[in-house]
Amino acid sequence: MMQITFKINGESITQEVKPALLLIDLIRDHLKLKGTKPGCLEGECGACSVIVDGEAINSCMYLAINVNGKEVITIEGLGDHENPLDNVQEKMVEHGGVQCGFCTPGMVMTTKAYSDKCKKKGITPTREEVKKSLEGNLCRCTGYAKIIDAAEAVYEN
Amino acid sequence: MDFEVINTTTSDELLKAIAANQNSNFRIGAGFTDLINQLKKQNTEELTIINIAQLKDEAYTQIVEEADGLRIGTLATASDIVDNNFIRENYPVLHQAASKLACTQIRNVATLGGNICNVSPSGDMTASLIALKATCHIVDCNGGERAELLSDFIIGLKKTTLKKNEIIKNITIPMNDHHNIISGYEKVGSRKSMEIAIVSLGYHIQMNNDGTITDAGVSCGAVAPTIPFATSACDFLLGKDIQDLTEADKEEFANKVMEYASPISDVRASEWYRKEVLFNLSQTIFS
Repeated sequence: MMQITFKINGESITQEVKPALLLIDLIRDHLKLKGTKPGCLEGECGACSVIVDGEAINSCMYLAINVNGKEVITIEGLGDHENPLDNVQEKMVEHGGVQCGFCTPGMVMTTKAYSDKCKKKGITPTREEVKKSLEGNLCRCTGYAKIIDAAEAVYEN
Repeated sequence: MDFEVINTTTSDELLKAIAANQNSNFRIGAGFTDLINQLKKQNTEELTIINIAQLKDEAYTQIVEEADGLRIGTLATASDIVDNNFIRENYPVLHQAASKLACTQIRNVATLGGNICNVSPSGDMTASLIALKATCHIVDCNGGERAELLSDFIIGLKKTTLKKNEIIKNITIPMNDHHNIISGYEKVGSRKSMEIAIVSLGYHIQMNNDGTITDAGVSCGAVAPTIPFATSACDFLLGKDIQDLTEADKEEFANKVMEYASPISDVRASEWYRKEVLFNLSQTIFS
């Protein structure tokens, strides 16, 4: 077992984990945060996307021990009592970007990481750039148009 | 999936871990985007992973501009390469290859060293670095160092000259002699994203102010067991004026690139299709 200390959704925690444990299993099975979805489990679908130190990553291909000293944000970390939904989530609702909802946490986390990066650089991405930012997230319901509309609307105002 | 992990945070710890495991079965893990999928398919009980994801040594992690070129640490991620302005301006072939690799989530963790050492004939960053005549800088666990051209480092399908006691520390790319360049990475697949190339073509051609070609690097991905550097196609271009290239010249160039193609038919494409695509790509880079 290896000891790791990291921040998850703002809270600092220390855990004993098996070296081969994947981040997705740490998040879902140990921490009981079930919003992060297991899809293909081989890095194709993006349903398990979470944010580590500001970057979206696939938690199914990331060793839990490698979040040691880092900050992890999952879909549960986006809202609080005063603002239950992040701006990205609100846009998904407004634009009807959710059908079955399985891909939604991954879509939201990828868009959150990308939009935070763009805001930091003062960039408003083009629709093509927004599409490219979501290239690692599959959706089998919506046909993508409404998800891309929602992701683009994040940059309004 | 179960295995032991040795965590390394300094170069010293890394080389000691490699030395201590010369008689056991180990793999090096950095981004893990290929490794996890490989490990899921095999028995990992007797396996040790030397984890370098948390290695802090700048020689392994940084992208540094030097007097005679660019040095890129083996742990630089594809995203680090995409975001680097010097690479975008001076080595478009590498910028494009990194940005066409998989997707954001994978680019954020997948490393340059991993792309090279996975030795896939369709490795995007590797193909672009072969066109750029990159050199691998390798260290061994006894403190020895050696340098080898990347195109010599890869010797066959899934085979490199890397010994069990060695690791790539960084790679260097020679500085451009001229700002006047034609450089890019063409990748053909069945979709734009999350795709492994059916055929790819990396090219980096330098011209002096008169338009005379002074240096050329061309590599072809996914058409041979290795990623060949198309020497005769490059030699054909040297000394020619870029503005005077005729259709016949472009066709001859494409034919010379084809000398390096010996593709197989597999689930992703047939041999015939790969050859057609490579020929057509080679002809169009000058238009």
